Amino acid sequence: MTSVARPAPRRLASFAVASEPGNERLALAQVAEAVAASGLAPARLERLKTAVAEATMNAIEHGNRGRPEIPVDVEVTQEGDDIIVAITDLGGEHALPGPVEEPDLLLKLEGEQRARGWGLFLIRNMVDAMQVRTDGVRHTIQLTMRAGTAAAPVSQTGGSQGGGDEEDV
Amino acid sequence: MDGPMVTMGVRHLGGQVAVVDIKGEVTAACEPVLMSAYEEAGGLGTSRLVLNFAGLEYMNSGGIGMIVTLLVRANRQRQQLAAYGLSDHYREIFELTRLDEAITIYDDEASALVGAAT
Repeated sequence: MTSVARPAPRRLASFAVASEPGNERLALAQVAEAVAASGLAPARLERLKTAVAEATMNAIEHGNRGRPEIPVDVEVTQEGDDIIVAITDLGGEHALPGPVEEPDLLLKLEGEQRARGWGLFLIRNMVDAMQVRTDGVRHTIQLTMRAGTAAAPVSQTGGSQGGGDEEDV
Repeated sequence: MDGPMVTMGVRHLGGQVAVVDIKGEVTAACEPVLMSAYEEAGGLGTSRLVLNFAGLEYMNSGGIGMIVTLLVRANRQRQQLAAYGLSDHYREIFELTRLDEAITIYDDEASALVGAAT
C-alpha cells in the first residue's frame, strides 16, 4: 500500500497588530503580501482579504475589546494547496458576533433585523473553510483558502467546512 | 486610524437625479459623511440617487450596514438607489448580500443616468 505524505506546513508570515480601529487594513495588506506568490487567483485573493479584515475586526472589537495594548496575532501558513490564516485574540471563549439567524436584507429593510451584522456572514462566504478554537484565553479563527482552484460560486447560505475536533461555525 | 477616511461629493444632475461620488473607505465610521451626503443629495426633491463607487478603496461589513441604513431612508422617501463603478469583488458582495436586488447596478455613469431616466 502506497501512502503520500501531506507536505509540512510552511509559514509565510507571522505578525501582530494593535487592537485599534482600522488596523484590519494592516492585517489584510500583510496577508496579501505574504500570499502573493502562492498561486491564489486574484478574485480569490480579494475574498481572502475581505475575510481576514472581518475576522481581524472581530478580534479587535469583540475579542480584545478595543484595548490597543492587547495584540491580535496573525499567522499565515501554506500546507499543500491550502492557504491558512489564523487570527488570534486574547478574549478567551466568546461567541462570534453576529445574529444567530442569517442576515436577511428584506428583514433589515423592514426593521426586523439591525442594519449591521454582516461580518460573520461575509467571512463564511468568502473562504473555503472556517474553524474556531479556544485554548485558554487565546481565541483563534482559522480561515482556509485553497490555491489553484476555481472560485466557489456565490451562495446565499455558503458555508464553512472543517473537520477534526475543532468547532465549526 | 480614527475617523472616516472617505469623501462623498454630491452632483445634482437635472431636477430629480443626484450622484454621490464616493472616494475612500466605506466603513461604520463613515456614517456621518454618508448621511450628510444623503441629506444634500436628497434635499431638493431628488427621486433617484446614484452612488458612484469608482473611487471606493475598501468597504467592510460596517460599511455594508451603512448602505442598508441609507437604503432604509431612501425607501421611506420613496427614492430609488442605483450604483456604478463597483469592482468585480464588491459587485459579488452586493450579490451575496442581495443589495443588488434593491440597488440597481450599472457598469458606468452613462448607463446609470440612462437607467435613471427610465
